[in-house]
Amino acid sequence: MLEVSDVVTVYGKIEALKGVSLTVESGGITCLLGPNGAGKTTLMMTIAGILRPRRGSIRFDSAELVGSTPAQIVSRGIALVPENRLVFPQMSVRENLAAGAYQRSDTGGIAGDMERLYERFPRLRERREQLAGTLSGGEQQMLAVARALMCRPRLLLMDEPSLGLAPIVVDEIFRIIAELNRDGTTIFLVEQNAYKALQVAQRFYLMEQGRVTFSGTPGQLAEDEVIQRAYLGARRAAG
Amino acid sequence: MIDVVQNTLDGVMIGSSYALLALGFTLIFGVMRRLNLSYGPTIMLGAYLGTLLYVQGGAGPATVAAATVLGAAVVGVYVERLCFAPMAAGAGIASMVSSFAIWMQLEQAAILILPRHTYAFPPLTTAAPLTLGPFLVRLDHAAMLAAAAALAAAVHLVLHRTRFGLGLRAIVGNATAAHLVGIDVRLSTLAAFALASAVGGAAGYLVLTVDQQVTPMFGMWATFKGLIAMMLGGLGSIPGALAGGLVLGVIEAQAQWYFGPQIRDFLTFAVLFLVLVVRPTGLMGEAPSADAAAPGRA
Repeated sequence: MLEVSDVVTVYGKIEALKGVSLTVESGGITCLLGPNGAGKTTLMMTIAGILRPRRGSIRFDSAELVGSTPAQIVSRGIALVPENRLVFPQMSVRENLAAGAYQRSDTGGIAGDMERLYERFPRLRERREQLAGTLSGGEQQMLAVARALMCRPRLLLMDEPSLGLAPIVVDEIFRIIAELNRDGTTIFLVEQNAYKALQVAQRFYLMEQGRVTFSGTPGQLAEDEVIQRAYLGARRAAG
Repeated sequence: MIDVVQNTLDGVMIGSSYALLALGFTLIFGVMRRLNLSYGPTIMLGAYLGTLLYVQGGAGPATVAAATVLGAAVVGVYVERLCFAPMAAGAGIASMVSSFAIWMQLEQAAILILPRHTYAFPPLTTAAPLTLGPFLVRLDHAAMLAAAAALAAAVHLVLHRTRFGLGLRAIVGNATAAHLVGIDVRLSTLAAFALASAVGGAAGYLVLTVDQQVTPMFGMWATFKGLIAMMLGGLGSIPGALAGGLVLGVIEAQAQWYFGPQIRDFLTFAVLFLVLVVRPTGLMGEAPSADAAAPGRA
């Protein structure tokens, strides 16, 4: 579904991605693990069109994405739930969801989707007229996911959805990820919580210092080693 | 007491045009997080277009108003393309400095179009003032207040009831997230610039109908008044911009009456200074959030 080949992205003066290639298969949950600074967020921002790669190609259903604007990429069916959620703080929950449907004009469909999302996230319904900036971290994460779903993506990119959340909320987030995937959304997930991610993913990649250093299925590499490398990077783990 | 009330009345009416100037300034600042110093000269050049039609073609008030507003919008688009769009990812200071350079260019353009120092600007009405008990109300002042209130309400409706407005508020909230929900941020920003410059053009038109004359210096005047009103009210806050404009108008009217025009400007800047010392975010501004302060990736 998504094919990233040899992508090099320079962020500031740093070559954050040094030739990344990976594939996200349709229908599944693919996970990208790696320590801080490995380039995971840079890759997500590059796929979403926020950052422009210096080299390489990103194909979505065999159409080239490199050179498209973020808005064009959204219209092709890719949505990113960004790191740190980035909800619109001065807008209500309902307006955040409406902004998620910015490219759509089917009023009835938008209202129906909003209703379904309120059913999936009852807390958002309770707080729908509240400003998003006043929500708790977990609620903001739910809102960020719901906002991304409002554009009916076929591929949902999620960047560290569990970051900074209480364990019980993290469980909730991963339950939702599994549910969304069961309902037919392909998911490409960046996580620091390797233990949780490996429970839901069918396939994972390990990224270290701007390169993919391992790919496989959960269980293919000893869980200890994956987790150690995901958190610390290979060199320090070895040493 | 009657003087105080009369001055307040005058101040609110004049202040309504400052409020409109500040509203346009704030729209640009909110969407881009950049100061557009050539905002006033943009309005001035729009007004020069109106003046040209008046001086050379004898155009009526409606034509002059339309030419001023549309002219300002077009010049605003020019400024955005030249000073802001190419530097969208660069330092904010570069945009501010280049908007200052464009300021000089716009002034020279005005002088090329109409080379004399001063030109007449058509008044809205020359009817005698209304008498309300002990108070006098100039009709053009009253029209200024009514038009400013209507325009502020219209901007509010655009921001809160239209898809375009939803997109703008999303950009103000978080530009990266606005990209991610599929908003064409560059196009929306350009449209916001045009809208803000048009609002400024309307404010400029209303002020000039009262002044009944225009010079190239009007640009500096408009940037000053808009900037002071915006800073008083709070950077980036629309209610703050409107309140700041009215407060500025009232302070000026009182100071003018009691101390004369030199002390008036001295006092205005003293008040701005005090407000910024006591409340650096302005009267109604909020402390910038951590997100807003962080440099955007986009």
